Amino acid sequence: MRIVIIGAGEVGLNIASKLAYEGKDVVVIDKNTEALKFIAENIDVKIVNGSGSNPLILKEAGIIESEVLLAVADSDEANLSACLIADLLSPSTKKLARIRSDGFIPYYKELRRNIPHINTVINPDIEVVRTIERFIDFPGVVDIVDFVDGHIKFVGIKINKTSPIANIQLSNLSSVVREIKPLIIAVVRNEKLIIPKGKDELKVGDLAYFITIDKELLKIMSVFNPNSFPANVKRVLIIGGGVIGYNLAKKLELRSISCKVIEKESSRCEYLAQKLDKTIILHGDGSDQSLLNEENVSETDVVVTLTNDEETNVLISLLAKRMGAKKTITQVNKFSYFSFMPTIGIEQVVSSRLSAVNTILHHIRRGKILSAISIKGEAAEVMEAIALPTSDLVSKPLKKISFPKEAMIAGIMRHKDIIIPNGNSIIEPGDRIIVFAKRKAIPGVEKALSVKLEYF
Amino acid sequence: MHWKNIFSIIGQLTLFLAITMIIPIIFAIYYKDNNLLSFIKSIILILVLSIFIRLCFKSNNNSTIINQREGLIIVSIGWIIVSLLGALPFYFSSQNFTFVDAFFESVSGFTTTGASILTNIETQPKSLLLWRSFIQWLGGMGIIVLSITILPLMKASGNKLYKAEVPSPVPDKLKPKIRDTAIILWKVYLLFSIIELLLLIAGNLSFFDALCHTFTTMPTGGFSTLNLSINHYHSLYIDLIILIFMIIGGINFSLHYQMLKGKSVMFWKDSECKFFLITCMFFSTLIALNLYKKVYPSIIEAFRYSTFQVVSIITTTGYITADYELWPSMSKLIIALCMFIGASAGSTSGGMKCLRIVLCLKYCYKELFSIVHPRAVTQIKINGQSVSNKIIRSIFGFLSLYIIIFVFFSIILAGMGLNVTTSLGSVAASLGNIGPGFGAVGPSKNYALIPNLGKYILTFCMLLGRLEIYTLIVLIVPEFWRK
Repeated sequence: MRIVIIGAGEVGLNIASKLAYEGKDVVVIDKNTEALKFIAENIDVKIVNGSGSNPLILKEAGIIESEVLLAVADSDEANLSACLIADLLSPSTKKLARIRSDGFIPYYKELRRNIPHINTVINPDIEVVRTIERFIDFPGVVDIVDFVDGHIKFVGIKINKTSPIANIQLSNLSSVVREIKPLIIAVVRNEKLIIPKGKDELKVGDLAYFITIDKELLKIMSVFNPNSFPANVKRVLIIGGGVIGYNLAKKLELRSISCKVIEKESSRCEYLAQKLDKTIILHGDGSDQSLLNEENVSETDVVVTLTNDEETNVLISLLAKRMGAKKTITQVNKFSYFSFMPTIGIEQVVSSRLSAVNTILHHIRRGKILSAISIKGEAAEVMEAIALPTSDLVSKPLKKISFPKEAMIAGIMRHKDIIIPNGNSIIEPGDRIIVFAKRKAIPGVEKALSVKLEYF
Repeated sequence: MHWKNIFSIIGQLTLFLAITMIIPIIFAIYYKDNNLLSFIKSIILILVLSIFIRLCFKSNNNSTIINQREGLIIVSIGWIIVSLLGALPFYFSSQNFTFVDAFFESVSGFTTTGASILTNIETQPKSLLLWRSFIQWLGGMGIIVLSITILPLMKASGNKLYKAEVPSPVPDKLKPKIRDTAIILWKVYLLFSIIELLLLIAGNLSFFDALCHTFTTMPTGGFSTLNLSINHYHSLYIDLIILIFMIIGGINFSLHYQMLKGKSVMFWKDSECKFFLITCMFFSTLIALNLYKKVYPSIIEAFRYSTFQVVSIITTTGYITADYELWPSMSKLIIALCMFIGASAGSTSGGMKCLRIVLCLKYCYKELFSIVHPRAVTQIKINGQSVSNKIIRSIFGFLSLYIIIFVFFSIILAGMGLNVTTSLGSVAASLGNIGPGFGAVGPSKNYALIPNLGKYILTFCMLLGRLEIYTLIVLIVPEFWRK
């Protein structure tokens, strides 16, 4: 099983390290020798120096024996042409291209389905915009992911001081919560991932992950934080008018949320002003306190910082919060920063690179696994899979199943019903199941699902 | 400057004018109105002139390429020469037109103004009345645009000529080729004219009256064959048909084309058209409320006359069903305002045009907006398309020139002894290609009493208005003639 990755940027690096960790043959192609050197020193992969759209280079990387080609270089054109050339050399290889420019966005659906010679294109920016929208709707949520076509949501939420369920043993939750008990799957405490047991309790500052069906999301959220749901967002300030900022503003215009965009580059401002109707475009530096003051940042419900520089984003978010903004959403791309963001007071973080990794994972873990997503810090994965008749999981109560220790079955979807399982639930063949697994347990989970290490 | 090219094109234009005179000749023969000779004389004179031009300025190659400046000259001189030659049937007729009167009537026709020096219209020979209406129809969509569609020599230079004759602030080309665009516009124009003709005949008008009124409604001209204009009929049906077709004439013809192609409800999606229709409704309502009880006892009647008059003036047609000079001051002032607004760009109307007004208002809002948000970057948009600063600047230039010219010529006319209302009213009505003004040139009166020099000034205003100021006025800028 061989995977060729074009582009040794942050996304390429992360995917490569993930796959190499699981024992796959990974080849990384890039023109930049420095980036390749860094990868070679840190991960057990083969590196090839050169252009990904050069047939000789692709051949050298072993495209003919590979099963997947991931084109995640910075340039859209390079990614597309690499896929086209690869298709010529090896039609059976599955090809994924990352595409990011504005012009492609309206055709995203078409491209995903119908683009010739390429299996699919991914656009992490669209995913980021979607995530930001969800963050706007659900304050306090740190992570929110769809499963089973959006019917099941996997949500990470911060436990704050006012939360009524803080410091209560999970087995006693029903004494505080009347209606619905949230199914808490994982807790991140002091940068460590814990799978909680009945006698554990949630502490203030914890990041709790739970699973719920779509309809009950709001109710469960109010269990954690009774006062802040549903969110009433009227004014949004976006700092950085790049692709994500532009698309976010466009989405917000449709929802008639009043929106302002601060952008540094004047020609980009002109472009945005041309394309956006109701949004107010401001030319200036997002870290300029007087500009933030002038535009009433203290009256703003959400400040989204999306400049290219993540350090600036973090600082602007902190500044905006200090000036009275109710909430901030920050774009941070370096994975190494994620773990300590909560410590410095940055709560909701988005990353186009993380969403690129997630989208790609979704496509790589095919077979009987429908989608997969890695949660913050990459310590664990959530997967959606179909329970095969040959699997050990089916037709037995869950408590009798030998499942890897650091993994759990978090949801079962049968026909159109969604079951949040307990020890006595039985999985039937053909059910869709949602599995939560720590990184170490992933091979064991794949085995249990009888998907083996086989991809396509 | 290639005068050879310029005059060879103008020569074709005059030849074309001679051909159009065949139509009034047919009517002269049919009605036996003793006016045949004036048209024959005119045709002969024009033919001689055309042949003379052709001999003197024979162009070497068939497809002449002209530049922007030559385009402006051709259009400006072309319009003046065509108006001069179009005046010949009036001058040669048995009705004792002085030269200036004939020229005034002709320019007023071609520019679709509809201002007349005739005191008794109904006694005129029918073929002459038809010619008078017919030249409005020709001038409405533009004689140059028409010749682009027909004359072969215009092919290569059509683009420049089109821009000079139809200087839309935000140009829209329906087809990649200008000739195809011009053909489409004329087809739409012809189609609506035929429909109106049939509807008017259905309203019991004689063929002659229906034809003449169609010829002057679609180009929003306003010449009538009757002394009392449309009020002669006292018919709600006729009022309504004319009203609808004045509005059609006041809407951008590319919108009509899109509607005819099946893209429905384009009118409400277009900001300019929306502004035009809302302005019409708003002013009609205001005037109706103002007139109710003071002039008309019933509100419905007040609405009927206010709507017709507002639409007639704002589309710069100039038909009359009620004498607005007898209305209260507020109504009169609103009518005066309508004279300046005009209808849509790309229509057959005159005035400042709604598009310019809309963009001007948007610009003012932008200025106010940037006081609140000093760092905001804003774009002026129309129909979702942003409008460049160059266009905005040219619009402000246009509006300023319009006002300057209006004030300047009003003062000159006042200097000739006309009173304030008359001088302001006549210049506004000429510059806007409307026809009836205020005071001595009000709706129930005519331009016969204006001194001769005043008539020349007003014809110049009409041409300025018809060619949207820049095309003609640039010729008096010395830089234009510098080699």
